[in-house]
Amino acid sequence: MSNNDVSRRSFMIRTIIAIFAFIGASLGAALGGFGIIPALKTREPGWSDAGTVADLVVGQPQERRFSEVVKSGWQSEKQERTIWIVKKPDNRVVAFSSSCTHLGCGYRWVEAQQRFACPCHGSFFDINGTVLAGPAPRPLDSLMTRVENNRLFVQYEVFQLGSTEKMRA
Amino acid sequence: MITTIMDWIDERTKIRTIGDFIMNRPIPGGASWFYVLGSSLLFVFILQMLSGILLAFYYVPTPDHAYASVKYIQNEAFLGSLVRGMHHWGASFMMVLIALHMLRVFIFGSYKKPRELVWLLGLGIIGIVFGFAFTGYLLPWDQKAYWATVVGTNVAGTVPVMGGLLVKVLRGGAELGNLTLSRFHAIHTYILPWSLALLAGMHIFLLELAGAGGKWDASRNMPDKTEPLFPHQIFKDSIFILIVFFAIAALAVLSPAGLEPQADPTDTTYNPRPEWYFYFVFQLLRIFEGRYEVIGTFVLPTIAGMLLMLLPFVDRSPERAPAKRKALMSLAAVAVAVVMGLTIMGSMAPVVQAPSVTAPSVLAGRLLYDKNGCGACHSIHAKGGTIGPDLTHVGAKRDGDWLLRHFKDPQALSPGSIMPKTTLPENDLKELTDYMQSLK
Repeated sequence: MSNNDVSRRSFMIRTIIAIFAFIGASLGAALGGFGIIPALKTREPGWSDAGTVADLVVGQPQERRFSEVVKSGWQSEKQERTIWIVKKPDNRVVAFSSSCTHLGCGYRWVEAQQRFACPCHGSFFDINGTVLAGPAPRPLDSLMTRVENNRLFVQYEVFQLGSTEKMRA
Repeated sequence: MITTIMDWIDERTKIRTIGDFIMNRPIPGGASWFYVLGSSLLFVFILQMLSGILLAFYYVPTPDHAYASVKYIQNEAFLGSLVRGMHHWGASFMMVLIALHMLRVFIFGSYKKPRELVWLLGLGIIGIVFGFAFTGYLLPWDQKAYWATVVGTNVAGTVPVMGGLLVKVLRGGAELGNLTLSRFHAIHTYILPWSLALLAGMHIFLLELAGAGGKWDASRNMPDKTEPLFPHQIFKDSIFILIVFFAIAALAVLSPAGLEPQADPTDTTYNPRPEWYFYFVFQLLRIFEGRYEVIGTFVLPTIAGMLLMLLPFVDRSPERAPAKRKALMSLAAVAVAVVMGLTIMGSMAPVVQAPSVTAPSVLAGRLLYDKNGCGACHSIHAKGGTIGPDLTHVGAKRDGDWLLRHFKDPQALSPGSIMPKTTLPENDLKELTDYMQSLK
């Protein structure tokens, strides 16, 4: 092969590589973006009616189920949620997400021990959500609440688990 | 490092030998722009596969979600309109490229010995691509999708003897509905892609074994004119693929895939039209009417398919120069002219703007009924809520005056009714009343 042939050959090979690199990158970006970006969208929390506060007793956490309208892709659907609510001595009402901050198991109130216990890896929290023992990296996740006409309204949110910081998922 | 890994792999797979065999495959007479069509088809197929898989991230193949999920892809999902547009235009490009590819092979006489099987596999691929097109456009479940499939499946019904059975098998039942949608989806996303991958793989593999045909003039296929597939031919292929890619992306942006209103099986005012690549069949249906219909829907397409299949076995002379195959070239010219002519005529078929059987005010009333959520409490033809009375035959029970007054103040006419007062403009109430009166 002459020098001319060699440079022509290498020009063609470089062009082929450049074209497929370009198509691969732009197509990858478009398809990847389409597949991934909508999944990263954080949802705006809305207020949901979580029932009456009239039957709450100070020092006795109560598990509450309520339904929330969630927009998921093209459809809005009702989803059932569970939270723990606690009435404080000053009559404020605090709500906790029902997921243990360690790995997301559902924890419960143990009346005899006056503490929340997670059944998975032995995390314990006091009535204020503070970690007493176990692997939980942060206190229970509190939710925004507001009381109107004796009814509790909650902004239900989902948080990232396993981190020391409370961050919206 | 990379060489070491390649050596390791090569020792076990002989990948270099295989790669060299393919890459150094001689192109008799040298690389040519005429040969870029096959590889660009492979590219568009991969593009369709990738965009199709991504569309399936959001698409749901049931009548109650299909339309909404496509609308979500089109209007809300990030780059959704682009991805759907590329899938849509990719389909059209596949049709054009496959037609050009077949025509090129025909003119060059490349289907002749030893490539008869490559030709037959190519015909199978064309059938699969039409299958993709037909099953694909039902999926959005919009008006075009619904009505084109009603007509398309009925066309299958004109096939002699088996017609009735064929329609039922295609639709998954007597009528077009959820069963049709799920089986079209399964065919479109499981059966056809795997079939195409298999046939296209064999098509390419057998071409590698038989070798490319090269120029039709044997004197130009001398060894000194021969070039290897890589990089000479692949270079031209890549340039053309880049152009195709730009064209598909540009069309997806400038002319996004359409989405008509949701499928409405009760609408008699819609003018169904297929995609442009089915216009020639559509036009055949307009030409062959009544008992001759089967000629357009079944006889002619079958004869055309048979002729194409028999071609390499009937035309067995080694002569490949078009100038010396005048009869075949004329036949091809006529066939191309006929298909193009039918396509153009099909595209110009007049739209029937017949006066609607249903009065405009009734249609407007129906839209108001849907828009104002009346169906949350009332049901019509078993669709809707059960809190309020069934309205299926309300027009036979109540007159217009009663209905109009009842809208304004339900409790005055039906004491104890929990229906809220309707606070719509007078004209809207009139249209709602007309719709109610049409429900006999």
